[in-house]
Amino acid sequence: MVFLPSATSATSAADVGLKRSHVDYSRYLSAEARSRLPNPIKSIWKAAQVKPGTINMGNGDPHHTLYPISEVNFVVPSIDEHDPVQSWRSGTGEQNIISSYKDELCALSLRTAFAYGAGAGLKDVRDALADLNDRIHSPPNHTVSLSLGNADALTKCFRLLGDPGDSFLCEEFTFSAMTNAALPLGIEWVPIRMDNNGLVPSDLERILSSWDEAKQGKRPHVLYTIPCSQNPTGSTLSLERRQQIYQIAHDWDIIILEDDPYFFLQYDLGMSQSTIQQYGHTRAMAEVLPRSFLSMDYDGRVMRLDSFSKIVAPGMRLGWVTSNSYFADKLDMLTDSSSQHPHGMGQAFVAELLGSNGWGVDGFMKWILSLCNEYQRRRDLFMDVFRQKVATSGFASAEVPQSGMFVWIKSGPTTNTADLMDELFRKLLNNGLVMMPASTFAIADRTGTMGSHINDRVNFFRATFVGTDETIRNGLATFGRTLEEFFL
Amino acid sequence: MDLSHHLSDEARNRLANPLKDIMRVTSECSVTDLITMANGDPHHSLYPFQQIMYEVPSVQDPSDSVTSWNNSGRTQIIRSYRDQECALPICNAFLYSRAAGLVQCKDALTDFTNLIFAPPNHHVMLTFGNSDGLTKIFRLFGQKGDHFLTDEFSFPGMTNCPLAYGVKWVGVKMDSGGIIPEELEKVLIRWDEAKLGRRPRLLYIVPVGQNPTGSTLSVDRRKKIYAVAQIWDLIIVEDDPYYFLRYDVPQTNCASADPDEFIKNFISTLIPTFLSMDVDGRVLRLDTFSKVLAPGMRLGWITSNKLFHLKLGEYTDSSTQPPHAFGQMFVTEMLSEHGWKIEGFCRWLRSLRLDYQNRLDFLLDVFQREVEPTGYASVNRPEAGMFVWIEVFFEKHPRFVRERCSGGSPVVARTNTECLLKELFERLMNIHGVVFMPASTFAIPENALWVESDGHVPLSDRTRFLRATFAGTEDIIEKGMIRLGKGLREFFQE
Repeated sequence: MVFLPSATSATSAADVGLKRSHVDYSRYLSAEARSRLPNPIKSIWKAAQVKPGTINMGNGDPHHTLYPISEVNFVVPSIDEHDPVQSWRSGTGEQNIISSYKDELCALSLRTAFAYGAGAGLKDVRDALADLNDRIHSPPNHTVSLSLGNADALTKCFRLLGDPGDSFLCEEFTFSAMTNAALPLGIEWVPIRMDNNGLVPSDLERILSSWDEAKQGKRPHVLYTIPCSQNPTGSTLSLERRQQIYQIAHDWDIIILEDDPYFFLQYDLGMSQSTIQQYGHTRAMAEVLPRSFLSMDYDGRVMRLDSFSKIVAPGMRLGWVTSNSYFADKLDMLTDSSSQHPHGMGQAFVAELLGSNGWGVDGFMKWILSLCNEYQRRRDLFMDVFRQKVATSGFASAEVPQSGMFVWIKSGPTTNTADLMDELFRKLLNNGLVMMPASTFAIADRTGTMGSHINDRVNFFRATFVGTDETIRNGLATFGRTLEEFFL
Repeated sequence: MDLSHHLSDEARNRLANPLKDIMRVTSECSVTDLITMANGDPHHSLYPFQQIMYEVPSVQDPSDSVTSWNNSGRTQIIRSYRDQECALPICNAFLYSRAAGLVQCKDALTDFTNLIFAPPNHHVMLTFGNSDGLTKIFRLFGQKGDHFLTDEFSFPGMTNCPLAYGVKWVGVKMDSGGIIPEELEKVLIRWDEAKLGRRPRLLYIVPVGQNPTGSTLSVDRRKKIYAVAQIWDLIIVEDDPYYFLRYDVPQTNCASADPDEFIKNFISTLIPTFLSMDVDGRVLRLDTFSKVLAPGMRLGWITSNKLFHLKLGEYTDSSTQPPHAFGQMFVTEMLSEHGWKIEGFCRWLRSLRLDYQNRLDFLLDVFQREVEPTGYASVNRPEAGMFVWIEVFFEKHPRFVRERCSGGSPVVARTNTECLLKELFERLMNIHGVVFMPASTFAIPENALWVESDGHVPLSDRTRFLRATFAGTEDIIEKGMIRLGKGLREFFQE
């Protein structure tokens, strides 16, 4: 009963890509994703675009003359400051005004931004982010789709790839708010052992090679990882580990969900000033940032999730997913069948910010570098105070995180760990300090093959160093004091 | 009333955010000056926004806002600040928020909802617009094997969505006044659970300016439908994007400068909603800014009972998260003392309604001039919305075929209406250069198992309509109607 224009429908990019590379990605999809229909109205609308001069009375879109916003402008830091973040924090720096108009020339007009669009988001914004991707990761052959941030993107990927009864792989301590989101979909998690440097590749290999489909159901085909400033352990995967993990994913045919909101917050970078001067900030950053899974993705098995949440602000509700064009197409169909494309103001803001009237991509990288310096300062302060007030007692220790926002503090109890940690958490609370206990993030192993219960290893706290200096000093003083009370 | 049995397995199995437990324990803690090192947010001093400015129409002019907006009329500047007082400051707006959205925006919309709709006992939750809200609601209540009820002509952009996870639709017969309550009842009475599975328990409707037929449910029909819902324990999903675009109502006296007087008059021009009569808590109402501000706002809200409100909040926390700061800031300031206030927003709505009514009048004029004289089509005058439902008299076509009814399935077509419709649609698009949506795009597939055999005219024989919008410019409308007239002549006189 639905008319889809036949002769006039253009072949989708995904179809062309598929024929060219002869890769069948459909086998990774959930039953739901496979059976999802494209929006018939949008198909007709697309066909109507084909012939110029066609009068379209088919769509119920308000005319742009009725949008009651003719200009939005944003007062942002000037990127010409030597250290934009410091100048912004101290209020001494200059400001820039970034503007988007409905009826005047600008990078992305409100006329376009405020209209209905396709799930992937507006082309100008996708292109700008694809350009950023190219300069940082040089992805082999991927497509960008906009998201409403990484929680949105990730939970959509769960729906895209997971059927009830599926097992997905994850780090044994992980961002449980997200892994919990998969549970009502009938997905179960298989945790992978971690050490100080993140997930242990040999354990990933062990799980896959010893998997018994008769007893355990379908072998896992998805790995969820947070490779930089892993949440909660704060570790960053080395290049060697990433290559090992990618090889294992290749051997066992796994899709890698690379959740990377902290990617741009890296420390001890040792960036070359001369590179900055000669080639700009983007090139200089690209040379020192970690190699992403995306950058080595010749199989098209990586779905990379980037977000503006930690580098601009959480309320941006904007990010981008980079994946092979088939997955991008299917993801867009899911978006068209749910939340729809991102909001116009956010897209307009990003387009203007990264455009020639705004910071540009290099300016954005300069802001990010400035952010990294500020976060590094706080990290260093945290570790200093930690050494003085906490580590000296011997009741806790911590590695220096190379990126992100978290410190993974190892503390006392190694027997009866879960109960003692609970007691310690409450004691800290009574003394006026909140830190996240490791148990909040622990994924219990249900395969029975891990050999040790995670409850024996929850003797950690996740602490953040993104608060004020005062918070860091006072918080750690309280922590040190409380540990002494608890263990003595 | 406990309606928890309506929830899907997925909704029932959903866990609350584990970090919430920590937050609960933290909030129960009696210590003052609690230091938190538990979060993972950037500090607000690092948000690169000091101020955001929006230029909007001034709605305080006694003259019409929309007209003056497009004729260089007065404008108003609304701002969001970091360092100065405003309704939703930047430091608060850009934080991670939970579930229902930022409290300032939620409160502003709750005030508006309470004033305009007077819901008995409901709660407001923010969405990214009605598509977002609706598809979340579908997941909340639907799972594989379930059936949902809706108008027999409905909006596939939305009704296609739950098909992917095994929910099926039952289309209920309509007339020019929308869904027919007696037909709804018939479907429920005749439902054979042995053959079809669980009886449908959710009704999805667009009660004002229905998409695609343009119909509006009368107050009488609403009461009857609500009564049916009570007897058969249905959830009513009231999707109402065109609610404020209702025509031919006695005009509010604009010169009335008194805000309360204006609001009172404005409310009197509105039709009572399902929400306002929802004593059981079985209605979930969806409102959106898409048609009254802009589609790209991507902001709306769901009003529902406490249980559903909490469940939707949990689902939001497990998926999209609450909406973007930009949208929440704009709407909060717009409705506040610093913006239009509720009264000013109602003035804008009134003005929009007049503008769309002008466009409707224009279309009907041109239709009468260019199309009606052909004798091959007629059009309704919709009470509301953005669409007209053009009826095409296919029986006048030389190749129209009607088979004699000789028993067999009550849902199989007896005429070639659908084929002729498809042909007309393609000719109009490819030869005459005008696009209308054919009725078949919107038709919900019928199933003989739930259709009454006696005297039922198959839906395929009744798909004799084209949906046209009057939301475009006069130029588009004029050209479109001229091409339609010409196209019809050539089609019927081949």
